[in-house]
Amino acid sequence: MTAFAEMCNQVSGQDDPLSARRSHFSAKADRVIFIYATGGVSHVDTFDYKPSLIKDHGKSILASRWLNKSGEFERFLIKPHWGFQQYGENGIWVSDLFPHLSDVIDDVCVLNAMHCDSDGHDKGTLAAHTGSAQFARPSVGSWVSYGLGTVNQNLPSFMVLAPHAPYAGAQTWGSDFLPGCHQGTHVVPGADPIKNIQPRVASKRLQTMELGLLRTLNETKQSERLNDAAVNARIRSFETAFGMQSAAPEAFDITQEDQRTLEMYGITAGDRSGFGWQCLMARRLVERGVRFVELIDVGSNSNWDSHGNMADHERLAKNVDKPMAGLISDLKRRGMLERTLVVWTTEFGRTPFNMSPTHAGREHHNFCFTSWMAGGGVKGGLSYGVSDEYGIMATEDSAHTHDLHATILHQLGLDHERLTFRHAGRDFRLTDVHGNVLHDVLQ
Amino acid sequence: MKRDKSEFSKILNMYLLRMQVKTIGLVLIMSLTGILSAQSEFDQFEKNIRPIFLKHCVQCHGEDKAESDLRLDAPEFWEIGGISGPPIVAGQPEKSLLLLAIKKTKPDFAMPPGEKSLTPSEIENISNWIRTGAKAPRTNLAATDKRLDLDEASAFWSFKLLKRPGVPVNKQDRWSRTPIDQFIFNTLRASNLTPVSDTDKCTLIRRATFDLTGLPPTPEEINDFLEDNDPLAFQTLVNRLLSTSSYGERWGRHWLDVARYADTAGDGSDYPVREAYKYRDWVINAFHKDKPYDEFIREQIAGDILAADTTQAVYRDLVTATGFLAIGKRYGYKQSPDYQHLDFADVIDSVGRSILGLSLGCARCHDHKYDPISAEDYYALYGIFESTVWAFPGGEEQKRPADFPALVPPEEIERLEVAREDRLSNLRRQIQQLGLQRSQLDGQRDTGGLDLGMERQDLGRSLKQPWVSSGAVEIRQDAQSPFANVHSKGTRGVRIGTGPKTDGIRYVFEPGLTAKNDKKMYFNIDFRTGAGTEDGVYRIYLGQGVVQSIAVEFSISRDSFMLKHGTEWELLQKIKTNQWYSLQVEIDSVSRTYSGTLATLTAQTRFKAKNTVPGWNGIANCFICDGFGHKEGPVLVRDIDNIALTTTPLNAIEQVIEPPTKTAGSEEQLAILRQSIDALKEEQQNIESTAVSEVAYGVSEGKPVNSHIQLRGEPEKLGDQIPRRFLEVLGGKQVPAAYTGSGRLQLAQWLTDPSNPLTARVIANRVWQWHFGSGLVTTPSDFGYRGEQPTHPALLDWLAMELIENNWSIKHLHRVIMKSRVYQLSSEDSPEAMVLDPENKLLWRYSRRPLDAESMRDAMLAVSGNLDRSVPGAHPFPDVNTWNFSIHQPFHAVYGSNHRSVYLMQQRNRRHPYLELFDSADPNVSIGKRQQTVTPTQALFLMNSEFVHAQAHMLAHRIAITVADRTERIKYAFAVVHGSIPSTAELQSANRFLEEYSSEAVKAGAGDGLKEAWQAFARVLLTSNSFLFVD
Repeated sequence: MTAFAEMCNQVSGQDDPLSARRSHFSAKADRVIFIYATGGVSHVDTFDYKPSLIKDHGKSILASRWLNKSGEFERFLIKPHWGFQQYGENGIWVSDLFPHLSDVIDDVCVLNAMHCDSDGHDKGTLAAHTGSAQFARPSVGSWVSYGLGTVNQNLPSFMVLAPHAPYAGAQTWGSDFLPGCHQGTHVVPGADPIKNIQPRVASKRLQTMELGLLRTLNETKQSERLNDAAVNARIRSFETAFGMQSAAPEAFDITQEDQRTLEMYGITAGDRSGFGWQCLMARRLVERGVRFVELIDVGSNSNWDSHGNMADHERLAKNVDKPMAGLISDLKRRGMLERTLVVWTTEFGRTPFNMSPTHAGREHHNFCFTSWMAGGGVKGGLSYGVSDEYGIMATEDSAHTHDLHATILHQLGLDHERLTFRHAGRDFRLTDVHGNVLHDVLQ
Repeated sequence: MKRDKSEFSKILNMYLLRMQVKTIGLVLIMSLTGILSAQSEFDQFEKNIRPIFLKHCVQCHGEDKAESDLRLDAPEFWEIGGISGPPIVAGQPEKSLLLLAIKKTKPDFAMPPGEKSLTPSEIENISNWIRTGAKAPRTNLAATDKRLDLDEASAFWSFKLLKRPGVPVNKQDRWSRTPIDQFIFNTLRASNLTPVSDTDKCTLIRRATFDLTGLPPTPEEINDFLEDNDPLAFQTLVNRLLSTSSYGERWGRHWLDVARYADTAGDGSDYPVREAYKYRDWVINAFHKDKPYDEFIREQIAGDILAADTTQAVYRDLVTATGFLAIGKRYGYKQSPDYQHLDFADVIDSVGRSILGLSLGCARCHDHKYDPISAEDYYALYGIFESTVWAFPGGEEQKRPADFPALVPPEEIERLEVAREDRLSNLRRQIQQLGLQRSQLDGQRDTGGLDLGMERQDLGRSLKQPWVSSGAVEIRQDAQSPFANVHSKGTRGVRIGTGPKTDGIRYVFEPGLTAKNDKKMYFNIDFRTGAGTEDGVYRIYLGQGVVQSIAVEFSISRDSFMLKHGTEWELLQKIKTNQWYSLQVEIDSVSRTYSGTLATLTAQTRFKAKNTVPGWNGIANCFICDGFGHKEGPVLVRDIDNIALTTTPLNAIEQVIEPPTKTAGSEEQLAILRQSIDALKEEQQNIESTAVSEVAYGVSEGKPVNSHIQLRGEPEKLGDQIPRRFLEVLGGKQVPAAYTGSGRLQLAQWLTDPSNPLTARVIANRVWQWHFGSGLVTTPSDFGYRGEQPTHPALLDWLAMELIENNWSIKHLHRVIMKSRVYQLSSEDSPEAMVLDPENKLLWRYSRRPLDAESMRDAMLAVSGNLDRSVPGAHPFPDVNTWNFSIHQPFHAVYGSNHRSVYLMQQRNRRHPYLELFDSADPNVSIGKRQQTVTPTQALFLMNSEFVHAQAHMLAHRIAITVADRTERIKYAFAVVHGSIPSTAELQSANRFLEEYSSEAVKAGAGDGLKEAWQAFARVLLTSNSFLFVD
């Protein structure tokens, strides 16, 4: 057991790995909504405004990397496919792809000089979630669950709302070597979001009787023992599950929301899926104490991976723009934004250049991309980090995925260097041996 | 009140213990703090303090910096202290400046600086350590945390030579029954622990049966055992269980965890591996047959090489065994060195963890931080695997499997291939002959018949169906070709006049030919260019659809015949106008090349090895003659005749086919011919689509190479070349320089050489762990410096020697372990022992164990009567010819089954939902010890899943048809599900439940109530702890 886990047990006095735990230091945020845009979002078409790229459109440059190969490649600059305007008090640049998000930009901190190590989808997705592009490691949500536990024992601590599996499948939200209760519970938007949540017996009374006999038999057995954590936990898990049968449907009950709220998220009548639904459910879940909610917008196909035609970004942006803006506004009007960290990221950006000046698509680009954060003690209306004149390399105040992870943990009061787990002979961290908290973006 | 009392007794116990500590001394302090293996006064420092100093202090207060003149990297320095004086006052934490600093109560005297702080437990540990005298070895902290060097390694417990230790003899030992017990008793005694009583026979048979077979005992088996009063009854039971096939399925599964077994490849698109199951079955069978463990390992590393000198039956098994190497998570989209270093990383790490208990993977980027494993060691092994050919399972960019080793020897393959080719050419000949006969009878046939229906066209008109034409196209008598080798001499041909390039003629072959089935395609066309003087062209096209995918293209001008070689137009020969030519083309759709002849009645030009147009999709179903040639210009007038596309070779130019003769009975003859041809073609297709021999997912020998060190693990940054050899710490023997193999054979021998102390220790510990839930070493795949030390080092060595000296028989280990008294202890509590050793590390009782995922599902199926005990074959994966999985559309399937869970299709990336929910091994890495989680989502499965309800229904039915009386039914249900006899209280609860539930069910409108009540009762039994745990 790590020193940290030991301390937590001393604090909570329990062995339950999901019980709420004290953070390392005082936290700015209590929960995270992590939005993942699958496929690789073009930074120069969304948040990273590059006038030189427009001016020098069609000019050739020498790229140092192309399709995962190093070398010198003559390529042609391609201007953004959408116009940009400045929004909010600080004039943050946002492209026409996000008309709604630009309305709440004063709450958003745009990170324009993100970079990561991998330009493949599988590895990029794993790295964005686990810090490791190559090996199976616990997801950021699992680390947070491990570090802080959860305050609502009737719901899982880490939930993932995704219509389809992303690249790397369930490894994306896997707990790997962390105890399995920290793995993300995958919820597929639709009528049956949590498996086996519906009782199969005719009445609640009947189920209560069944669980009553179960408890009686278990307690008879238990009376022979003073202390058996696993047996105790199993007994308790039935009680939590019983609670979940009503807590989860209640949490997912959209009928409790008024028309105005649904409107904010762009949810139409009778909608039980879609990204608006995901965003609204994220608010409802964090409201009910779920520690970490991840939203994945698409899946491993028909996503932001616009190799052939960037025009597809329009459809994908439209899918998420209003829901995300609605989420931020809704959290804010309920006074929840302050303590809820919203993070938006993707596996990598897309090349500001291509094989010909008229090429309609863009390729994978991991040297520079954009992520953003909102709420949770992060400065709003800030554009942090600068890329070079064409958006090819992250130049000033660059931030690696590890830094983003370190910052997320930091806002939750967790020191990324101290949140460790002993596995296979060494202490593992989310940030491996890297990561710096982005103090400049914090309030 | 009750709580107070128990609190009181706890406190009292603690008090009593403290009193004992004073008299018993140090050993007990150790057990109190949970350090059981340690025997040194510096343990507290080593375990709790050194890591804190290293982590938080010595970076600034060490050799490099010594801020404020203070160094905390050795006692000699902190005894002197820095500018504020000595930081530690032994025995007096409250006077120690160190403690004041780390508590951070005074802002100007707070350490470590910044927002970092020590945890309360770290502070507590330092305080305790100072209070107890601040003892530390008089060495430098940082120096001793360096990795073990080779000299130190030979003294480290796991690298020490293996010797049979003496069995401890204790005169007061009235408890032990076997040598194992004597080791256990000795340690218990030293820690002042007393074992609990032996367990009852009911519990024992349930424990042994689940342990060895993963299934519950039946009431009959329990009864037999209870009635067997022979003192050797338990040994008889163990022997019976060991002989069942269920034993292989249970213990094979343990090894499959270690071997990271899955049925899919694991890259982003997660291709299915149809042959993976053969390795799985090989493992199950190896346990069943008690294959000696050293042989078991050797075959998995080098089975294909060992197979060279064996019989056919053994050959198959030996090649299959190498699945162990191939079965790991793959990273490649295609067969390419760009990706393979990650596959090698997986295999080196897996071999290290599974067989040696070493984390070799750490040495990929640099020398191992703690263990005596260098990067040289790593790349020495790397070379062995790089000299090996790996079965490629299929991936996004290369969607078909490749290099799967055959299950028969090479000479046998050769023989089979020759035989197959013989049969195929024989078939082709027969088909051709029958085809010719058919042509004689049938004018409508495509190949040899009347010119694809051209002979039925009307003179003076344009081409009609089945042809398509546009522009100036006319059927004419004088457009008739003089050749009769492909179609018999007819009466007409087609003249295509000039006009737009898009004009011309088209014929669609139904069905067309595809590269998959038709390796060779033969195409014929006769043409004559008109006598005009314009410098223009026309084109002959063959491919899929209307130029959707081009196979071959020819362009003809007045004086040149051009063919397309890949993407380039190439001049074949100069030609004349007004001269008939016959073009014959043979396309090899496998190599994507073509050859042929261009002939006049008197001369022939041959051409060969021309490439088909790149990107051709392998389908030929459309012929076009239009105006898109190799250059611009007016489209030339030309005559066209005798077009044919076949899978049988065309007749030579000089041959003459006679016109068909229709006679009485020719229709019947034709029907017979058609049938025969179809049957032959089907046979041909079957042979062609079946591999010449069965294959396995394994490895074979490749070109021997020595690998270069990859600096920081990056394959582009190469360092020195390292000869292939074994780990230096285990002898470092080399693959002989002149040896032409990969070195896997040597590796297999080094791994299992009795002088290598790790292999036997590691497996002995695993077997112990799989029996007791926890190993003597609790880090079963890490026997290195950072792993846990054994709780019973002598016992571990005794077991390892017992294994080696009994021909590495795993079943022998089962027998000696299960015969011991410690195995047969009750799982009951002992209040005293609970305080001294709450985790039962010293085995004062048997630790209750939860059923793992497989056992739980199998047991539910078994008691409901639904379990299918047969061994299923291959998984019902989609046909390999349809595989088109990509990272965007990965393979995913869950196949229903009532077979034992070990046979479920184990998908690597999207795991089987049930197995994942209940913590089965993650097949992405070698798993030595499974996670055990208890989650509400598991409980939801137990409460509400279709599976549990289905088993409960069947179980209720089974109970109802077996016994009539209600109380007897309840007893029977307990016996079947829990293997126990219910207490009076349990009987009462059950009876009351059945009554109340049935009347409530009637109220809720659920049937007659009674049936539902029994089903509910069955569910309770199936989900209660007496079922879900093994005592």
